[in-house]
Amino acid sequence: MTRTDHVALKGTRDGLVLYLDPAADFELLIEELSSLMKNSDQFLQGATLRCYAGKREFSEEEIAGLAAALKQSGLELAGWLTEDEVYLPKPRPSVSAEREARLEEGMVEGHCLFVERSMRSGKSVQYEGHVVVMGDVNPGAEIIATGNIVVLGSLKGVAHAGATGNREATVSAYHLAPTQLRIADLVTRAPDDGTEIRGPEIAKIKDDQLVVEAAGLSGWRSKAR
Amino acid sequence: MGEVIVVTSGKGGVGKTTTSANIGTGLANNGHKVVLVDTDIGLRNLDVVLGLENRIVYDLVDVTSGNCRLKQALIKDKRFTNLFLLPAAQTKDKTAVNPEQMRTLCQELKAEFDYAIIDCPAGIEQGFRNAIAGADRAVVVCTPEVSAVRDADRIIGLLEASELRNPKLIINRLRPAMVKRGDMMDISDILDILAIELIGVVPEDESIVVSTNRGEPAVMDLGSQAGEAYRRITKRIQGEEVPLMNLEVPKGLMDRLKKLIGLS
Repeated sequence: MTRTDHVALKGTRDGLVLYLDPAADFELLIEELSSLMKNSDQFLQGATLRCYAGKREFSEEEIAGLAAALKQSGLELAGWLTEDEVYLPKPRPSVSAEREARLEEGMVEGHCLFVERSMRSGKSVQYEGHVVVMGDVNPGAEIIATGNIVVLGSLKGVAHAGATGNREATVSAYHLAPTQLRIADLVTRAPDDGTEIRGPEIAKIKDDQLVVEAAGLSGWRSKAR
Repeated sequence: MGEVIVVTSGKGGVGKTTTSANIGTGLANNGHKVVLVDTDIGLRNLDVVLGLENRIVYDLVDVTSGNCRLKQALIKDKRFTNLFLLPAAQTKDKTAVNPEQMRTLCQELKAEFDYAIIDCPAGIEQGFRNAIAGADRAVVVCTPEVSAVRDADRIIGLLEASELRNPKLIINRLRPAMVKRGDMMDISDILDILAIELIGVVPEDESIVVSTNRGEPAVMDLGSQAGEAYRRITKRIQGEEVPLMNLEVPKGLMDRLKKLIGLS
């Protein structure tokens, strides 16, 4: 046992560190320390250690008392640690959470899947990140991505961008005519009329509405439309 | 070494069996040694379309399960001595055969025949997997309907996944007059979605119904439009370059009169 309610003894890279609760009464600390030492093994004999008690400052008497108590257990008080020197455990972000945070940051960067052929009916792609299809997405095919979806051809199947709830996600295609289009929690479908080619378009969420806009083109490409 | 060609579609009723019978008969008419294989176990039709129903003794399942030799099950056609049929079993179902047995069978047929035409059942289940197992090439039949095109698209995807690349397309039962009025999908609409090579367009033709009921494939009927389409498809399967059939709607009397006086 290396810890009690107010005292803890830990081995760190820089040697042994005794953590003392800054709020606890000094008598209590000494008491707990001696019981801690009683229970600890013989291998601590002759070791030096440093103490850490946060911002609390002990009187000289108290420090001497502490050193004496340690000496009884064969330990030597080598000094005090400041807040900067001591290692305090912090909640470490998990890898998947980190990645999620990065994906949520913006739709600019991230993992990307390239589908290098047309997707026919019955084909389904699910990916954590962005999806680019180099071909058509036929009716009956579906893409589900946590990021953006880009189709270099006709999108006639089902596309779900920002599937984990990211409303920044977009769906763009050279010919945007999906059976159903979903971004985050919003769903829409292509108008029943109009199969004419309108040129590259991009679907995104604006003011809680799924809107489709012409992809921002300039120069001769926009004039050709 | 011959070639195994599977005729498939996904959707039922688009004309797989009619197409198989006509391509097979057409190839035999052009002097090739051909076998037609019906893999629609439990719902066999090809024997009826060819008018050979009453000659069946052994069937596909008898061959694959070793009840008889391949030669015993093959039925010689009424008209061509170089055309044979391997009929499906009617009393079993699709699970009576597995893809491995079909591959073995196709190897045997390839050694014996110039062409083996496999008539695939509708659907994408075991019957479909059996039919495509031993095939070298695939022909997809599709009618100008949204549902048929959708299913054909799925089938093409499955064929490609099974390493049957570059399947060929036959559009069946097209009605040029309806297409002209804009009431039916036209060829370019279908090719837009399926994006595979078109090897023939067969117009809707009443003579097909007649010939099917008689058990005489339309490809032999020189007066039939559909027969002409099948003759051209046959040639293309043999590797010849022939133009697609002209399916323009015949002009009416008024059109011809207008043209005569220079109005159009």
